[in-house]
Amino acid sequence: MNKILLIIQREYLSRVKKKSFIIMTFLTPLLIAGVYGLMGYFTYKGIKDTHDNVAVVSNNKTLTEKLQTDKNITYTYLDSSLDEAKKALKKSDYDYILYLPEFSLEQPEGVELFGAKQAGMSLNKRISGDIEELIKTQKLKQSGISQSDLDKLKTEVDISNKKIADTGAEEESSAGASTFIAFTAGILMFMFIMMYGIQVMRGVIEEKTSRIIEVMISSVKPFQLMMGKIIGIALVGLTQFMLWIVLTLTISTVAVSVFVSKDQVKEIAASTQAQSQITSGQTTVTAAPVGPIGDIQKSLAGLDVTKIVAVFIFFFLGGYLFYSALYAAIGSAVDSETETQQFMMPVMLPLLLGYALSLSVVTNDPYGSTAFWLSVIPFTSPIAMVVRIPYGVPAWELALSMAVLVGGFIATVWIAGRIYRVGILMYGKKTTFKEMFKWFTYNN
Amino acid sequence: MLSAKNIVKQYATHRALDDVSLEVEKGKIFGLLGPNGAGKTSLIRIITQITAPDSGEVFFNGERLSPKHISQIGYLPEERGLYKKMEIGEQVLYLSKLKGLHSAEATKRIRYWFEKLEMKDWWNKKVEDLSKGMQQKVQFVATVLHQPELIILDEPFSGFDPVNADIIKQEILELNNNGATFIFSTHRMESVEELCDNIALINKSHKILDGAVEDIKASYRSNTYWINFEGDYPITSNEIYEVKQVERVKNQTVAKLQLKDNRTANEALAQLLPHVSIHRLDEVIPTMNDIFIEKVKGQNHE
Repeated sequence: MNKILLIIQREYLSRVKKKSFIIMTFLTPLLIAGVYGLMGYFTYKGIKDTHDNVAVVSNNKTLTEKLQTDKNITYTYLDSSLDEAKKALKKSDYDYILYLPEFSLEQPEGVELFGAKQAGMSLNKRISGDIEELIKTQKLKQSGISQSDLDKLKTEVDISNKKIADTGAEEESSAGASTFIAFTAGILMFMFIMMYGIQVMRGVIEEKTSRIIEVMISSVKPFQLMMGKIIGIALVGLTQFMLWIVLTLTISTVAVSVFVSKDQVKEIAASTQAQSQITSGQTTVTAAPVGPIGDIQKSLAGLDVTKIVAVFIFFFLGGYLFYSALYAAIGSAVDSETETQQFMMPVMLPLLLGYALSLSVVTNDPYGSTAFWLSVIPFTSPIAMVVRIPYGVPAWELALSMAVLVGGFIATVWIAGRIYRVGILMYGKKTTFKEMFKWFTYNN
Repeated sequence: MLSAKNIVKQYATHRALDDVSLEVEKGKIFGLLGPNGAGKTSLIRIITQITAPDSGEVFFNGERLSPKHISQIGYLPEERGLYKKMEIGEQVLYLSKLKGLHSAEATKRIRYWFEKLEMKDWWNKKVEDLSKGMQQKVQFVATVLHQPELIILDEPFSGFDPVNADIIKQEILELNNNGATFIFSTHRMESVEELCDNIALINKSHKILDGAVEDIKASYRSNTYWINFEGDYPITSNEIYEVKQVERVKNQTVAKLQLKDNRTANEALAQLLPHVSIHRLDEVIPTMNDIFIEKVKGQNHE
C-alpha cells in the first residue's frame, strides 16, 4: 500500500535525520572501540610493568631448590635474620620480604610476606604458585623421579574444540568464542528490542498527545498507521545495527593497524591468556566474555558468522515486531508516558526473564530442555535463540522457533491493532486492563 | 451529496447515536449542532470512516461510503494537532500525500495557500515554534489542500483571534462558492447564523431538529415585538396584544408585546398611535442560540 509506504518513510526519515540518532550511531562504535582499546592497552601495560623485588629470608632446610626469578618477580635470598631484614626494608631496594620457615612438605605453614604496601592478589597468587611448584618438584624428587623426567613432565596442552556437524564434517569451535558471541548477541538483542519497542510506544504517545492522531486516521486506517510506525522504526534499528557493525569493524581495524604492531598483538593475546589463568586459579575455563581474544579470532572462522548474523536479524525483526506491537498497544491506551508503568511491567517481565535465563542457564547448558523451551516460546525466543545459535542448534528446532515467533507476532500485531484503533481516540480516562479487553472486543 | 440513514452507534453501555438520519445538500453549509456529548463527534467519525456504524448506512453522492471517498473528504477535528518536530511545509506535504496528492501538485498548492494566508516564510519552521493560532492556519490549509468535495470542520474558529477568524471565514465562503460542501460543527451560534444554510440539532444521541436555518427561525416566531415610544401612556394588555414586559425611563417606554391570535402589528400600532409617538418597532426573531437552548432544555426536562 502506497499510504503505508509514506508512513514508513516519514517514521524512518524523521528518526534517522535526528541529531541524537546520528550522534548515537557514530559515537557508540567509537566508544566501544575506545573502551576495548583502553582495556587492551592497560592490561598489556599492567602486565608488562608489574615487577616486584622480593627478598627471601629462609630458615627452611626442607626445600633444596630456590625460588626462580622470572620477568615479574625477582627473588633475592638474604643471609640476614628476619628482624634485620624488616628493619632494613625501607632503605633497601626490595618491595617485600618473603619469610620461609621450616615446614614439612605435607603441611607447609607459616609463610609470611612483609611489605611497606599491601601486596596485591596477583602477586600473592604468583608467589604461592611458585612455592607450590617448588614443593611439588621436591615431592616428586623424593618419590624417586629424576630431574630429567621432571623436565619431560612439563608439557602444555591446548585443547582444540571440534564439533561434529550434522553432515559429519568437523568444525573448529571454541567454547570461549561461542560464549563471547552468545553474550554479545543476547545483550544486543535485549537492548534493541527494548530501545526500539519503547520508541514505538513513544511515537504513539506523541501522536496522541499532539492530537494529530485524528487527522491521521481520517486519511489512513489505524492499522496502517501502527504498522507503518512499527516497520519504519524497525528499519531505523536495522540501519543502526548495520552501521555499528561496519563502523566498529572499520574503527577497530584502523586503530589496530595504526597503533599496534603485530608483535604487540601477540603479546597482548598471550598476556591476557596468562592473566585469566592466574585470576581463575587452576581452572582453565573462563566464563566471562572478556578473555581469549586471540581464541576468538582464531575460531571465528569455525563459527558460521553469516548464519549467526542472519539468525540475529531474523530474530531481531521477529522479536521486535512481537514486542513493539504490544508497546504500540500500551502507547495507545495512555495519555502520557508517566501512565505507562502499570502496563510496562507485564511486557517487560518476560523479556527480562528471557534475558536473565538466556545468559545464565542457556549459556551453561545450550542443549538442555530449559534452553529448548526458552528458544521456542516467542516471549523469550528472540534472546534465547541468538544465545544458543553460536553453540549450534538443530535445524528443526530453529525452524520451529522461527515459525512460532512468526505466529506470535502475527497474533500480537492483530491483538494490538484492535486495542490501538480504540485506544488512540480515548482521552482523559485512566485505562485498565479490563477496559483494554473491552476495546479488543469492539467491532470497528 | 451526503446522506446518513438510521445511524446507530453503541459503545459498550453507552448509545452514542440512536437512529440518526440526515441529508446534506451539495454546495451548502450544513451546521451540526448539539451540546457536549450529544454524539456529534461520533457521527462525524462515522462520516470520515474512522469508525463504522453498528447499523444504518451513509451514502456519498449516492454511493455507499467506502475508502475511496477518503480523498474527497477533508476533516478538521476539534482535537487537532501536528507533529511538533516536523517542518511545516514538509508536514502539510505529508498529510496531503496521504490523501493521495502527488508531490509536485501538492507543493504547488501549498505554496499557493501559504501565499494567500500570509504564511510564506513558514515552510521551514517547526510546529513547536508557532503560536496556537498559526498552527490552526496550517491545519486549515492541510484540511482543504486536496480540494475535497466535502469539508468537515469541528469548531474551526476556536483558538483564532478575530482577525484570523475572519480570514478563515472568508476562505470558507470562497471555497463554498467554488462548490465545496461543508459540515460545520460548533457551539458558536452566531457563526451558525452567519454561515449555515441548514442545520441539524442532536441531543442525547437523537436528532431533535433539522431544516433550513430560515425556516427554523420562522417557525419559532412568536408574533412578539419590541416597541419604543414617547408619551405618558400606561400600556396594558388588551384584546389585540399582551404586554410581556415594560420598562419606563423618564418619558421613554420600551415594551415587549405579544400579539393575540390573528392580530397584526398594524392593529397594535393603530391602537397606540393616538396616545404616543412611536420611535421604533422590531419583531422579536429568535436567535439560533435561543432555539438551541429552548430545544435542548425542553428535552432534558422531559
